[in-house]
Amino acid sequence: MSLAAEAYVSQIAAADPWPENATLYQPLKEDQILLSDCASSLAVQAYLRMCRLPVRVRCRPNAEYMSPSGKVPFIHVGNQVVSELGPIVQFTKAKGHSLSDGLDEVQRAEMKAYMELVNNMLLTAELYIQWCDENTVAEITWPRYSSPYSWPLNHILAYQKQWEVKRKMAAIGWAGKSLAQVYEDVSQCCQALSQRLGTQPYFFNKQPTELDALVFGHLFTILTTQLTSNELSEKIRTYGNLLSFCRRVEQNFFEEHGGDSDAGASPRFPKSPSLI
Amino acid sequence: MAAPMELSCWGGDWGLPSVHTDSLVVLAYAKFAGAKLTIEPVDWTWKTLTGTVPSLHCEGIMVTEPVQILNFLRKGRHNADYELTAKQGADTMAYIALLQEKLQPALLHTFWVDAENYANLTRPWFASRSPFPLNFFLPSRLASAALSRILLTKGESPLHSITDVEAKIYSEAKECLNLLSYRLGSSQYFFGSTPASLDAFVFGYIAPLHKAILPSGQLQQHLKQLSNLCQFCDAVLNNYFGDGAPGSPTASQDSVDANLQKLTQLVNKESNLIEKMDDNLRSSPRRADPKPSPLPERGTPHQRDPTPQQILLTRVFQEVNICTTS
Repeated sequence: MSLAAEAYVSQIAAADPWPENATLYQPLKEDQILLSDCASSLAVQAYLRMCRLPVRVRCRPNAEYMSPSGKVPFIHVGNQVVSELGPIVQFTKAKGHSLSDGLDEVQRAEMKAYMELVNNMLLTAELYIQWCDENTVAEITWPRYSSPYSWPLNHILAYQKQWEVKRKMAAIGWAGKSLAQVYEDVSQCCQALSQRLGTQPYFFNKQPTELDALVFGHLFTILTTQLTSNELSEKIRTYGNLLSFCRRVEQNFFEEHGGDSDAGASPRFPKSPSLI
Repeated sequence: MAAPMELSCWGGDWGLPSVHTDSLVVLAYAKFAGAKLTIEPVDWTWKTLTGTVPSLHCEGIMVTEPVQILNFLRKGRHNADYELTAKQGADTMAYIALLQEKLQPALLHTFWVDAENYANLTRPWFASRSPFPLNFFLPSRLASAALSRILLTKGESPLHSITDVEAKIYSEAKECLNLLSYRLGSSQYFFGSTPASLDAFVFGYIAPLHKAILPSGQLQQHLKQLSNLCQFCDAVLNNYFGDGAPGSPTASQDSVDANLQKLTQLVNKESNLIEKMDDNLRSSPRRADPKPSPLPERGTPHQRDPTPQQILLTRVFQEVNICTTS
């Protein structure tokens, strides 16, 4: 989000209350969405539910191209469109909904640091697995990503996306990593999260924050998505407190809405095994 | 561990044992953990092109990347994190991720992409430390690597320009510095009174920003306001690199080099000024003319009154003389 847009958001958006018809857009859940996008989308949904802000989830095959930043998910609220968790958190804050107001400066620094840890490790690992591991690319990523497009666009767009992710991996020094090293990184990240969580219900004790939403989005998606091997989810399953954390967030923020018309927003995947 | 360990890294300057962030991280951690490293600066060798910097050599094993080197040192019983609790270890990982995601892009931009800093500080420094003929293209190679890293990690689509992301990365970096300052508070190091690996990382990232003489330094200005981070940097330098920067065995060459660098900077600055003056002269209406006339066949003002350039040139020569004699 540019500075001008940010200033606009903080000045103008604050005036309007949260509308009933707010919408979140993401790629098609059944045939198209990829692990990393699904995790980001679930994180945003969890965040909005924690704030008790209603949002309707719509699946669009061209969600990626509708988004102002080229990344999914994005929300359409009133006459504004905001994408990705960070800007959405700022946007809701401007409207007077915040989860991290009760934290002091040091806790806020800690929260931001752990959020970057999740982005730096889990998100990058998801991108690596879905675009750089040959098996996953051939069996899952390529068919799903190119599903809405016809020949030759399906090949062009998928190839372009893969090239872009591979360049990014090269720039951050992940290109030379093996799959085993990536799993090891994920494991270390989960260990850190598990240590930080300890026996508390949420990362900052009783109240959930945007960090909880982000961690839930990534962990729950990894746990419930069928990949070529289940090694990634096995890494998470070794940490019992993270599993019960996911279960807790699911129960408190997703299951009570189960009977609503927006059942599509529930993170349960049709093919997914139950969490525990 | 008796096996000798050799670290190849970029050499020091600006009062630092190394000017390179990753090299500084390893050097600082080695000092904190009491590991004895033999330091082999890559300066003036072809390793500036071919080698990965920093890299640690021990009994035929080569380790690169600061995180891997720190792990290697830990395995060799050089552990500065021995007293940390598991939660503090987790915090360390999280804050290192924060540094990499939020501060690093702006640092790369400050040193390698910002035109004024690059032309006056970074390029002359790295060119003066590279052997002929690498000095002609090594700095620009490093700069383009830095630029593409910023664009790939912070840009938003394959076709984007650096100006779109500049504002974003600087505001993120300033926020990151604020968060670090809150986290450090009034304690001496991040986890109490002894430094650990997080201190090495923070030091490596902010020390060059703290010490370099940057012609355009909005991030540096921001850091200067956070006095506890500046004090932290100075404390690490004084307590662990106090005796004349032991990281750089080339202290005598440094002073000669500093003079040379000062001279290059000066000449660069003056030539920039001359260019600007020249542009101004070309674009401005001929105010110097007593009788402004629209006729095109009159002589150009350059030929008739070249005095500003001459003045500047003589100033350059005078200052060059002063520098070489002093």
